[in-house]
Amino acid sequence: MPGKKGTAIYRIRRALWLFVVYVLVLFIVATMALPFFWMVSTSLKNKTDAMRIPPIWIPKPPYWENYPIAWNSAPFARYFINSFFIAIVTTIGEVLTTIFAAYTFAKMNFFGKNFLFNLLLGTLMIPGEMLLVPSFILVHRIGWYNTYQVLIVPWIVSVFGIFLLRQFFRTIPEEFWDAARIDGCSRVRFVLQIAVPQVRPGIATVALFKFVGSWNAFLWVLVMTDKVGLRTIPVGLRYFIMDIGTEYHLLMAAATMAIVPVILLFLFTQKQFVQGVARTGLR
Amino acid sequence: MKIPQQYRSKRFWRETGEAYLFLLPTLLVLGVFTFYPFVNAFVYSFYDIRTRTVPGPLIYSVAEEESSSWESFLSRGRIPPELVAVAEKYGSKPEDLWVRLRQKGRWVIKDEANQQEYIVTKEDGALRVYQAKTQWALEPVGWSNFRQAFRDPDFTKAIRNTVLYVGISVPATIILALIIASLLNQVMVGKSVARLAVYLPYITPVVAITMVWRWIYDRDVGLMNYLISSIARFFGANVSFFDWLDDARMALPALIIMNVWRFVGYQSIILLAGMMGIDREYYEAAKVDGASSFQIWRRITLPLLTPQIFFLAVISLIGAFKIFQEVLILFMGPGPQKSALTIVYYVFTKAFDSGHYGLASAASLILFAIIFALSLFQLTVLQRRVHYER
Repeated sequence: MPGKKGTAIYRIRRALWLFVVYVLVLFIVATMALPFFWMVSTSLKNKTDAMRIPPIWIPKPPYWENYPIAWNSAPFARYFINSFFIAIVTTIGEVLTTIFAAYTFAKMNFFGKNFLFNLLLGTLMIPGEMLLVPSFILVHRIGWYNTYQVLIVPWIVSVFGIFLLRQFFRTIPEEFWDAARIDGCSRVRFVLQIAVPQVRPGIATVALFKFVGSWNAFLWVLVMTDKVGLRTIPVGLRYFIMDIGTEYHLLMAAATMAIVPVILLFLFTQKQFVQGVARTGLR
Repeated sequence: MKIPQQYRSKRFWRETGEAYLFLLPTLLVLGVFTFYPFVNAFVYSFYDIRTRTVPGPLIYSVAEEESSSWESFLSRGRIPPELVAVAEKYGSKPEDLWVRLRQKGRWVIKDEANQQEYIVTKEDGALRVYQAKTQWALEPVGWSNFRQAFRDPDFTKAIRNTVLYVGISVPATIILALIIASLLNQVMVGKSVARLAVYLPYITPVVAITMVWRWIYDRDVGLMNYLISSIARFFGANVSFFDWLDDARMALPALIIMNVWRFVGYQSIILLAGMMGIDREYYEAAKVDGASSFQIWRRITLPLLTPQIFFLAVISLIGAFKIFQEVLILFMGPGPQKSALTIVYYVFTKAFDSGHYGLASAASLILFAIIFALSLFQLTVLQRRVHYER
């Protein structure tokens, strides 16, 4: 039986319980962080120290040489440039298509609206993995195999982004458009100059998710290209593992390099990220 | 039939035109890269699909006096210097070239780095060099791909492994996430630190993070075995090291542990948001009635969280059925004795390793059926009850 509120027993029990909870939470946070810590720690050891048991947790002094060695044992510069280029172009493209599609579904009344909306909703049920083989054949037939456009164009549309942004556009009062129209403002100008600034947080979320998604994309790049020069970071990492085998100190240096940009991005944009996840659930 | 009033308005049709202009890029991309392949996924399941390397554009004709020297080079599996010069013009480096195929009067030279091929043919005594192109040959075969898939022990194994993986990892993650969210709900942790720890596994590239786990799972010097044996020793027990990556019995557990770790943070965030949205009054009332903390959790928190739990269940079921990348990186293959062979892995290798595109299409339809059913369930049954847009 729990003690009555305010009595000494209650307070002691409460303090004990909170202590237990704090210890557990600390343990959980440590568990979540441990693999990352271990990754960085291994990346700063030489080969013999990396293989030591019991492990050395904090290497002293840190062995920085792994980074240049890993960087030079595969064309990582190329991988990074590719990843950045593809992620940036895809993100810009998606933001543009999404703004207009989302606005259209949020604010315009047109023939076939419900049908199209449901059609788009339907695409969310299609697993991308199912489209791999037919897309592969299509991409070969149109001669896009091993090109940048195959890594960009199919990804500049996101139904998920359209639905997300549509919710934002819906909050804009109808009177804005009415007023703008009377003043002779075109729809395109209205969308870009008046509507877009009001949904900036939504656009930021959409862009952020796309960038991270593009940065992490693996299967599509793996299937649609087989040229070294077109590899992105994740695909490059896969071949790096195949080439280098069990040189874990080098592998961890490479993994750290691949993760750092995402962490930096997250640190600077936490708010949008957290909002986005709370709003919809990241897919 | 009644024609809606708006169909008579000129403004409506003008707006329709504008709307389709706005939607044009979206519909174009979706049409080409989603709907068209989607339809083809069904069509291709009923075809035997093969690729052939056929001559594309003619890029060089060999002078008659050089022909015999070319042939003697090629027949020994070597590349004539003139051909190297031609290939260099098309962006191939000499060291990347090799003779992939030697047939009667036909040679295929491959450029390994650019994945480009050249074909040398002998027609009426004259040698010609072509840039190769891939041709797709489709032949209808009825239900044979499906029969073949279900007769393939690898495919049934893939389904079994996937279902086993999903059946354990999804409930395990949600239950753990519930516990973590309940704990987080009681204390104020350094928010940004906890947030980073929880989100990190979720946003980092799967390949990178799986690499780290590959290292953690190392049999002899991996962190996992070290921690397990340390804990066991603390309690006075002695355990032999698990062979996480090379023991067929440990492959699925290894996969499950890693992915529970990856997703539990994100799921607890969603659940925590749900918990904080529950009206305080319920709790006050329960306390007045003398309910214990556990009773409150069991009778108030849990039922009011059902929408979030269902939402998480559906999206993580869908995600879990598609598991592939983790297998490829963690085991660099389908796992010991194919113990981690999953449906998508099966599709992937059948199509892109062995070139059985039709069979792969048929197998991928199974995945679609599962995911379609789950999504439909979410849309129809859950949509009305789940309101995760706070």
